Amino acid sequence: MATVQFKNVNKCFGATEVIPDISLNIPHGSFTVFVGPSGCGKSTLLRMVAGLEEVSAGSIAIDQQDVTFVRPVDRGVAMVFQSYALYPHMNVEQNIGFGLKMAKVPADEVKRRVHAAAETLQLDQLLKRKPGELSGGQRQRVAIGRAIVREPKVFLFDEPLSNLDAALRTQMRIELAQLHKRLGATMIYVTHDQVEAMTLADQIVVLNKGRIEQVGSPMELYLNPRTLFVAGFIGSPKMNLINGATAGRFDAHTLGIRPEHIDICHDAGQWQGKVIISEQLGSDTYLHLDVPGAGNIIARAPGDASFTAGQQVGLAPRNDCLHRFDAQGQALE
Amino acid sequence: MTDAKVAAARPLTAKARIARMYRDGKLTTILLFLPPALLLFTLFVVTPILNAAHLSLYRWSGFGEVTDYVGLKNYSTLFAHSIFHQSMWNSVKIILASILLQIPLALGLALLIYRKTPTNTLFRLVFLAPYILAEIASGLIWSFMFDGDYGVSAQVASALSMPSFYILADKQFAFLAIITVIVWKYFGFHMMIFIAALQSVPGELLEAASLDCRKSWQIVAFVKLPLISHAIKLSVFFSIIGSLQVFDIIIPLTNGGPSNSTHSIVSYLYTFGLTRLNVGYGSAVGVALFLFCVFTALTYKRLVIREGKSA
Repeated sequence: MATVQFKNVNKCFGATEVIPDISLNIPHGSFTVFVGPSGCGKSTLLRMVAGLEEVSAGSIAIDQQDVTFVRPVDRGVAMVFQSYALYPHMNVEQNIGFGLKMAKVPADEVKRRVHAAAETLQLDQLLKRKPGELSGGQRQRVAIGRAIVREPKVFLFDEPLSNLDAALRTQMRIELAQLHKRLGATMIYVTHDQVEAMTLADQIVVLNKGRIEQVGSPMELYLNPRTLFVAGFIGSPKMNLINGATAGRFDAHTLGIRPEHIDICHDAGQWQGKVIISEQLGSDTYLHLDVPGAGNIIARAPGDASFTAGQQVGLAPRNDCLHRFDAQGQALE
Repeated sequence: MTDAKVAAARPLTAKARIARMYRDGKLTTILLFLPPALLLFTLFVVTPILNAAHLSLYRWSGFGEVTDYVGLKNYSTLFAHSIFHQSMWNSVKIILASILLQIPLALGLALLIYRKTPTNTLFRLVFLAPYILAEIASGLIWSFMFDGDYGVSAQVASALSMPSFYILADKQFAFLAIITVIVWKYFGFHMMIFIAALQSVPGELLEAASLDCRKSWQIVAFVKLPLISHAIKLSVFFSIIGSLQVFDIIIPLTNGGPSNSTHSIVSYLYTFGLTRLNVGYGSAVGVALFLFCVFTALTYKRLVIREGKSA
């Protein structure tokens, strides 16, 4: 069972403590996504699993075995880097088979596994090309192929799609999801893009300043954020967060409501707002509104709805979809 | 294919090419910057070479009119001279020592100290120090070291209760001593080239390699060395050309002796051309050396440094 366990893991770079104390279980076969803003420690955590960063305190176990002091090559992990990290002097075939060759796997077996991976990733026509002759998406596939052939216990992805354009990113996202389904292996994926996190993960770990804010399934995090940070980070456009008297009326320090949970009515609603800007995306229209007492609010309307700047509209937040937070940013029951 | 595409694919006439270069400002740049460079190159490179080629056809002491035309006699004398043969062979030996001793030593040290740490910076400085020293100074320092009466070799001999030995006066060891000094003098230069190349290898590639390779030597052999192959090829090129030009280390150490056994081509030129006031003969040696250098450089470039495929 390729589980990954962090036990009181601490990481310091000199005097700077980037990860104070993290304990976490990643179940076998899960697609776990570490998500958080830049500098939250998500890549450091992933690199510690790979063995590319030392653990300052605590321990990491893969498949029930303590690997804290085990060399990267002996941990049974494969990593896909942000820059792909393909060897520029080797062709696609050599890149994919390099790890196996170094592990002294017989040449026939290397060839068989490389060709099988290439076929899976639609790289069979490109085996003799060097990385410099490939597009971004093809390079990404080679990097994934290099990971697949090693048949690792755990796959590690460090923001692998961030160098691709939007269309290719969507396509690769789907391919990664399919790959996970097909291999059934444990995968840990780092991203700062919460759309990637929501669409790929079956478990999301939201990190902030080296601490775990919340762990759960995408919908669990979306529907029941336990902290203000998670509420603001998960979801696009982000949740409306309202302070002051409006929140006070609901016995909360901060009140949260998602744009799709605010109904727009042309007559009087619970709140009155003035349209600042209307963003028509085709499927939806997002209204940026100035609501007295609540500040700037984003609300979702149907794609074909038409609003003009300065127009007054009534807003009706669904009371069962309100999220209440205390002064410490913790969700209130 | 549309008409516009066909027109674009058609090669431009010379006139159209010049007009385009004028429009995009390239012609102005060429006219402004090329003549000074060409003038300097002609004055300080082409003219002396042509002058030497001209003088090599005369017997001339360096004074008075150049009148005594001897044709290719200087060349025939040169190619028949056993000491020139020895000088050529010595230059080849220096090339081999540079490639087989100096480059591996420099590469090994570079691999050990290329990472940016305070200790490594100190070691880099220490290893680069011989290269910073003037050649003549290096030669003099080592001539004191090898001195059989008062040098370090004398002290070693005395400590081992052995009779004094005079390395630089011994035909068997003098050239080995010169090779030692050359390796000591220049390995730091090559080491710095390798360090710069190794530091430019992306860290993620080495991290990927650490996930793929069980042994450190595998990372060196299969990842680091191929990735700095362009620097190694360049370094070997510098070694070859530098070896053919060795002069001011030999003069203070052995002055070509004993019995003219340690001359390089350049020290041979100096000794038999300039000090013996036989400038015409020296010019012939210079022309031969120039042609040898050009041949070596072109051959090396053709065989090893293929354009755009060196990395």
